[in-house]
Amino acid sequence: MLNISVMNIVYTVINLLILYVVFRVFLFKRVDAVMSERSREIDDSIISANKKEQEAEQLKEDYALKLQNADKECEEIVAKSRKDGYDEYDRIVNDAKNKAEQIIAEAKHNAQVEAQREKDAYVSELTDLVVHAANKIAVSKHDEETDKELYNKFIFEAIEKSE
Amino acid sequence: MDIGGLLKELLLEDKVMIHFDFMNGFFDINKSVVITWGVLVVLTLFILFLTSNMKVHNISRKQLVAEVIVEKLRGITYGMLGEEGLRYRDYMVAVLVFIGASNLVGLFGLTPPTFDLNVTAALSLMSIVLVEAAGIKKKGVRKWVKSFAEPMAVVAPMNVLELAIRPLSLCMRLFGNIIGATVIMELLKMAVPIIVPAAFSVYFDIFDGLIQAYVFVFLTSLYIKEAVE
Repeated sequence: MLNISVMNIVYTVINLLILYVVFRVFLFKRVDAVMSERSREIDDSIISANKKEQEAEQLKEDYALKLQNADKECEEIVAKSRKDGYDEYDRIVNDAKNKAEQIIAEAKHNAQVEAQREKDAYVSELTDLVVHAANKIAVSKHDEETDKELYNKFIFEAIEKSE
Repeated sequence: MDIGGLLKELLLEDKVMIHFDFMNGFFDINKSVVITWGVLVVLTLFILFLTSNMKVHNISRKQLVAEVIVEKLRGITYGMLGEEGLRYRDYMVAVLVFIGASNLVGLFGLTPPTFDLNVTAALSLMSIVLVEAAGIKKKGVRKWVKSFAEPMAVVAPMNVLELAIRPLSLCMRLFGNIIGATVIMELLKMAVPIIVPAAFSVYFDIFDGLIQAYVFVFLTSLYIKEAVE
């Protein structure tokens, strides 16, 4: 037990080296391969996640910008169409006003013409009547009775006409 | 109780297992070496079982066990070696497992290989070679030689002596602890044949064996750390 045997020390050293190689090749290398692969994947996914995040951020900014522009455009369109609308409204109202004035003027004119015509007709009729009456008076023998009758007739006819 | 007779029986027992006739038995293989072969085979098969069919995703339970074992063992040796001695941690794990497993064979009724001075001598020889190799690799031969005269030239003989003392102490500590435990267990078996030896066996065969493995690796790591600083 206490005697030292060189060869047994050598055997044990060889055993130890074999065990070390076994540990390295079959345990550590295999586990390390898996672990490094795993950490590589994790790194990759972190990198790609960061990249995607940046892309998303970029897109977001783009969209925000576009949205802002769209808002502006929208406001412009609304303002323009409102202005167009007002213009149209003004135009229509003005047209209507003009037309109405025209119509009123025409009507006034027509009325005047009509009135003149009626007046003329009345006057001519009255003239006729007077002439007629004068004729009658002239041709007929006249006394106080017939004169009175004639006057009355004339007055009645005139009243009738004027109504 | 015949303690003297027991020691004689334990220590002077013929340990040769495989005998070769030529060169007066120079190449004889001890029983302890044969047992370490067994330990080696069992450990190798266990490792092959654990690390077969390894995957990156959806790992199996045994792969998880393998990964945890590697992490834990490396954590232990890394804690002792530090950043500088990182490259030696795998060897230290192998030694830790080897001594631990060797000390545990007592559970199966076999004599622990560390009960043979040749095995512990081989272990400590490897340790001192590794320590000095680490020092040379780190500092270069010139600086390594100079490091014997540090912190001052007077202590140079002491430092040179340490080359022999360190492995000797490692070797004898391991051997002495195991033989002590074995002797105590034998005595206990003589005194109280049942129950009590089983209870003490938990300490001497499992706890003490693993502690000694840890101590051996811890001291070797300490030396390596000192050498590479």
